[in-house]
Amino acid sequence: MSKQDSYDMFVEMDNKGGDVKIKKKIKKKERMENMKKEMDIDDHEIPIEELEMKYTTSVTKGLTTTFATQVLERDGPNELKPPKGTPEYVKFARQLAGGLQCLMWVAAVICFIAFGIELGKGEPSCYDDLYLAVVLITVVVVTGCFGYYQEFKSTNIIASFKNLVPQQAVVIRDGQKNEITASQLVVGDLVEIKGGDRVPADIRIITAQGCKVDNSSLTGESEPQSKTPECTHESPLETRNIAFFSTTCLEGVATGVIINTGDRTIIGRIASLASGVGNEKTPIAIEIEHFVDIIAGLAIFFGFTFFVVAMFIGYAFLEAMIFFMAIVVAYVPEGLLATVTVCLSLTAKRLARKNCVVKNLEAVETLGSTSVICSDKTGTLTQNRMTVAHLWFDNKIHAADTTEDQSGQSFDQSSETWRALARVAGLCNRATFRPNQETIPIPRRLVMGDASETALLKFTELTVGNVMDYRARFKKVCEVPFNSTNKFQLSMHELDDPLDLRYLLVMKGAPERILERCSTILIKGQELPLDEQWKEAFQTAYEDLGSLGERVLGFCHLYLNEKEFPRGYSFDPDDMNFPTSGLCFAGLISMIDPPRATVPDAVMKCRTAGIRVIMVTGDHPITARAIAANVGIITEGSETVEDIAARMRIPVEQVNKRDARACVINGGQLKDMSSEQLDECLRSHPEMVFARTSPQQKLIIVESCQRLGSIVAVTGDGVNDSPALKKADIGIAMGISGSDAAKNAADMILLDDNFASIVTGVEQGRLIFDNLKKSIAYTLTKNIPELTPYLIYITCSVPLPLGCITILFIELATDIFPSVSLAYEKAESDIMHLKPRNPRRDRLVNESLAAYSYFQIGAIQSFAGFTDYFAAMAQEGWFPLMCIGLRGQWEDVHLQDLQDGYGQEWTFNQRLYQQYTCYTVFFVSIEICQISDVLIRKTRRLSVFQQGFLRNKVLVSAIVFQLLLGNLLCYCPGMPNIFNFMPIRVQWWFVPVPYGILIFVYDEIRKLGIRRHPGSWWDQELYY
Amino acid sequence: MATLKEKRTCGQRCEDFGRFVWNPDHGTFMGRTPVKWVCISLYYVAFYVVMTALFALALWTLMYTLDPYAPDYQDRLLSPGVMVWPDVYNEENLELFYNMSEKSSLDRMAQCLRDFLIPYNDTLQESCHRMHQCKPGHYNLQTSFDAPGHTKWSCPFNQSVLEQCSGLEDPTFGYNGTKPCVIIKMNRIISFLPNNGTGMAPYVNCTALEGHENVDWIEYFPSNGTFDLSYFPYYGKQAQPSYVNPLVAVKIHLIGQRSAKIQCRVVAHNIGYENFYEPYEGKVIFQIKATS
Repeated sequence: MSKQDSYDMFVEMDNKGGDVKIKKKIKKKERMENMKKEMDIDDHEIPIEELEMKYTTSVTKGLTTTFATQVLERDGPNELKPPKGTPEYVKFARQLAGGLQCLMWVAAVICFIAFGIELGKGEPSCYDDLYLAVVLITVVVVTGCFGYYQEFKSTNIIASFKNLVPQQAVVIRDGQKNEITASQLVVGDLVEIKGGDRVPADIRIITAQGCKVDNSSLTGESEPQSKTPECTHESPLETRNIAFFSTTCLEGVATGVIINTGDRTIIGRIASLASGVGNEKTPIAIEIEHFVDIIAGLAIFFGFTFFVVAMFIGYAFLEAMIFFMAIVVAYVPEGLLATVTVCLSLTAKRLARKNCVVKNLEAVETLGSTSVICSDKTGTLTQNRMTVAHLWFDNKIHAADTTEDQSGQSFDQSSETWRALARVAGLCNRATFRPNQETIPIPRRLVMGDASETALLKFTELTVGNVMDYRARFKKVCEVPFNSTNKFQLSMHELDDPLDLRYLLVMKGAPERILERCSTILIKGQELPLDEQWKEAFQTAYEDLGSLGERVLGFCHLYLNEKEFPRGYSFDPDDMNFPTSGLCFAGLISMIDPPRATVPDAVMKCRTAGIRVIMVTGDHPITARAIAANVGIITEGSETVEDIAARMRIPVEQVNKRDARACVINGGQLKDMSSEQLDECLRSHPEMVFARTSPQQKLIIVESCQRLGSIVAVTGDGVNDSPALKKADIGIAMGISGSDAAKNAADMILLDDNFASIVTGVEQGRLIFDNLKKSIAYTLTKNIPELTPYLIYITCSVPLPLGCITILFIELATDIFPSVSLAYEKAESDIMHLKPRNPRRDRLVNESLAAYSYFQIGAIQSFAGFTDYFAAMAQEGWFPLMCIGLRGQWEDVHLQDLQDGYGQEWTFNQRLYQQYTCYTVFFVSIEICQISDVLIRKTRRLSVFQQGFLRNKVLVSAIVFQLLLGNLLCYCPGMPNIFNFMPIRVQWWFVPVPYGILIFVYDEIRKLGIRRHPGSWWDQELYY
Repeated sequence: MATLKEKRTCGQRCEDFGRFVWNPDHGTFMGRTPVKWVCISLYYVAFYVVMTALFALALWTLMYTLDPYAPDYQDRLLSPGVMVWPDVYNEENLELFYNMSEKSSLDRMAQCLRDFLIPYNDTLQESCHRMHQCKPGHYNLQTSFDAPGHTKWSCPFNQSVLEQCSGLEDPTFGYNGTKPCVIIKMNRIISFLPNNGTGMAPYVNCTALEGHENVDWIEYFPSNGTFDLSYFPYYGKQAQPSYVNPLVAVKIHLIGQRSAKIQCRVVAHNIGYENFYEPYEGKVIFQIKATS
């Protein structure tokens, strides 16, 4: 498709993008409309005089300084406004408003209400509710601070990558050349750009000499575009006489008048498009909300049930109401918020060590659930560096090493032809290394020259050795630079052998033009006449290389007759007073922007992990397809509809689209597709490549994938990727090559630009999902043994077995470390061989997890607690049956001689300390059972012994820590009166142990059943 | 994801919920087919039956190991509590405020003491402890169960020992005047020997903490305010079903403003009284005030 189409569509997509939003926000629509209007610039079409009039400028003298100052005041500085950063307090507030946080806020409010009611009733011991409310709020605020700090840190890492050096630009004002910072430029300024500069604004070219710019950050094209003063196209984006802000001038010089600055430039508009795209909720946030729904539902159900029960037993309404509130609050897992935050930030840290920085903690998990990766090509999958990929000489195609670190295989370099070809490539080349780069590896050195000459220079430097020295030995006497009419470049050299007085003519250029000028061909060092057979061989090779999406150059040479052209002969490059035909053809060299070395492997891993990799690029379809095939996005043997048509020799329309695995769609086709067609296309072809796409189209592709139920990751580096990065469930930007716009829009940044890091991210994301499930299951379990004492207290009127402060200690002190330690658990199976989780079915917390934790393990823990409670009571003189109904007398502050089962008399405070003893033994029982619980939660399917009982060192130390902390709480002097912990007798620690063993054995049986009978009733009901 | 994210209307949510409750396509009710509901219910019934059985077994074992005569541990009962009667509280504090001339007020006090002394009725006590010879001044140590019904003997405590405060002579216990009686009781603890068996009897000592100018003098009944050693040790409800705590009555002679804060302490060196967190350990503090 023609360039014209693609850019027209660029404009039109704006319109379309605008339409979608209309329903939502009229404001946004207006902005989009404005954007479209502004696209209709005509500055490239009008004559220069008119342009001068329009901007009150002069193409020779530039603006006057005073006028420039006025314009600067009017338009503001020439820089991209950073996207309206979220104010810090909003960021912090967001940390306090997640699903779990809301649950805790509600609980805190309920506590305050209950406190108010009890205070109103004048009950003396009602301060527990107040403490609870304060603790709940503290937990939310502290974890909020923690999460905020984490994000603040990663924002800092990202900010440190920003380019802080202010850009300079050469501007002509009042006829004088000045160098000023680019931000001071205004519309109408006359600026000069030269090779190596960044274009400081959108400019209309006035004069140009061999000016070429790299538009890759805007469009994704790796090939430089030449810029000339002529208006070649009515579309501003297509015409040659406009150079765009932030693109790089590779070579040549040009002067131009600025027509747009700052946010009004094309790049500025794309960047602002990104800020118009809403942020998506992360999958983990959705999961947590779902989980909160479950918790809230259960809490209200339980609370209501016991409210009814309490009313039935004969409690007053207000009292029953307080019970209801207490039960609802008891259902809130206070420790879970901290656990989730810490687990996520642990993973974020682990990822940061592998060079993935996560901006938003929740995004850590998103990669794990990703099912589609939409990847940009240039700079992400490829190195964004032209490199020699293939050579054709001796009638054979040789593959060059394209890896970044030169670790690949090289070709046979023994042939004479190769030596001749290498000599032509080295000599007929104007590119040079910048000085002082001896220590840098060759592929990374900076070069002055255009992309293909750079590639050839580096290639020869790598294969032949010191090219500069080589060129010095073959002294250059004459040179004809490349131009678009000749389509070749030649130079004349003396030979390095001082006795050989011949001149050597070397030439390179478009292969067919070179071949026209040749009469012989070099094969194995022999000059053979170039007959039809060789021509055909050449044609095949040329087409083969072209179909790989590579840019092909032809090379030839000629030794000039020393009699005709003796030393000192004056060669004239304009007249060409030397032969330019009848040359000897040396070979072809083709270049491509090669894929990064790690990419094919990473793509393969993604594929085995059930993740679809889709390429979305602004580059040409052929190049895109070649790279896609190269990195494995299109697998070997996959055909497109067109391929099948060509193979079967039938029209494209007759091909069954379902037969084609692969599909290459370019922007033009995409423009004519309805969203249903695009969905259908994505559904029927597993291997997709989108070429020549505009930023808006990238957005549409991402939306379409999301419509199909996929969780989409987008990788990219250019400004053109930023809207899609924002729209994606997780946007991944490149840290080194990425533009600021891309980094701002992304959720995650790969500091080393290594696509393979994504695979690590996926693995970590999946692992954290599994492990969070385990942590949550662990944390939820103890909710039941914390709740049942209260329920029994209400219904059976026993002395309270477990106090509020004790519960808080379990939730927020002893059990935090073990639940976090589950985040260190290794994966149970090879998670990278599983399909991504189905967001509809594989929930973080499902019904069976809740049921198993609450009603089975939690129940066993409750039984353990009550056994220990009754043991402690009975051994001190209070028999179990006596306890029932005892509450009224037990809690009577005025009764100082209550008789126990043996007739001994107890004062109120003695009973109170006995109650604290009960709290402590119940606490100890929960602790012991939770040790068993954390061990069983290590695995969901495997036996703990298969997983390695002690392999998770953190978990082992967490258990030790838990026990030590439990002991400290029990036996530290002063505890009874501060936190209501009593120094209990040692044997009460062992009462719950059989229950702990029971939990362990029961769960092993459960897992055994699941492993033995997958899909059975047992598996369905008991696997979580 | 998009479908999961889109905001659903309330109607849709209700419909979804309805579908969850009864899904005619799969024949599921609340996510399960009736057969599966039966299965899972049975599973849970079995689970809880087994767990309850285990729990019952554990409790049975626990009860089996317990000694019927004495508790395994007395961690909270290292020192006996002391209480005063009449036990009239105002919020947290014992406040024995009465109006000497108002019949209802003084009756309330007297009635409290009368009720408290019912088990100490002389005839009742005598009938319970006929067979045993108590030796005052000696511990009532018994190693065997000699009393009828495989029990141990306990010594009687007669109401009349309290003399003026027994209510026998003065049924108002002095509340009709400025000399009210209070009765001090020390909580019983199994095997507790005051003064560790040194043979010294514990005695009650009352002092005025505040308003001592209003207290003329304090009288004790029995006269020296002792708890006789023959009431110790206590062998528990099972062994001594008819045991009654020894009492000491205190007659406070109020003068002046007739208001004082009194602390009555049971003095024995193994009875603590300085525990900040246990106000009734070894002592009792009360406010007494007579108005007219």
